[in-house]
Amino acid sequence: MKVFSSDCTFDYSWDEVSTANWRKYCPWNDKSTHVVAVDTLSRTVDPETGILRTERLITCNQSVPHWVSSLFGGNPTSHVYEISYVDPVSKKVTMCSSNLTWSNVLNVQETVVYKPSQLKPRTTTEFKQEAQITALCGGWQKIKNKVEEASIERFSQNAKLGREGFEAVLEMSRRVFGEQHEKEKHMQL
Amino acid sequence: MAASIAPECNEIKEKYDTCFLKWYSEKYLRGNTSSNECEELFKKYRTCLNKVLKDKGIESMLEDARKSNKENDAEYLKPT
Repeated sequence: MKVFSSDCTFDYSWDEVSTANWRKYCPWNDKSTHVVAVDTLSRTVDPETGILRTERLITCNQSVPHWVSSLFGGNPTSHVYEISYVDPVSKKVTMCSSNLTWSNVLNVQETVVYKPSQLKPRTTTEFKQEAQITALCGGWQKIKNKVEEASIERFSQNAKLGREGFEAVLEMSRRVFGEQHEKEKHMQL
Repeated sequence: MAASIAPECNEIKEKYDTCFLKWYSEKYLRGNTSSNECEELFKKYRTCLNKVLKDKGIESMLEDARKSNKENDAEYLKPT
């Protein structure tokens, strides 16, 4: 098993980040082009806690290194199952994702948390990401290591691009929301 | 908003996503967690999507994933 982790702080409030997170993979994000579809499978609010639980299916299209595709087949389309929890009281978003495709040879478990940062909780949001990647294919440890290393490498590239793309979505969201707000104010006058 | 895995569901998905985002930012985050004005749109979108998930064999993969994600519910649905 190999572990990838990263964290960063976004200069946006938790409300803004948790809202923009729902459209992280919209056209404003021109970095995460490997994500081709995001479908919502279920959505419920727990009546007691107010926690919003959402299941989504993320579809990716990404070519993999040649030696990987020769081991696992060449279909570049893969699916990820994501389950997320928004706790509006403690202001925390937790997203747990796992791979649906190639799940018999590779197990990828990712957890992402967004919560108000400790230093400036009203205006900035802390992002934490951790992924555990385990190659399940039988056989040589050497090959398993290779597969895990390649997966971690790709994962960290996507994570970096994802962060850059999300910054763009946050910026656009703030601008559009600001314009909308102005328009509404105008209409009320 | 991102596209749907099924192009034929894109239109209804777009409507639902827009409704949800408005509900999330204007109601849910402001404490009104119980309203469900997007429910009808979601039902239509799901009807469209369900068929495709079955045809593509994704539904069965999802069932397995749900089983192995049960402990997440136990951990993250508990009150803080």
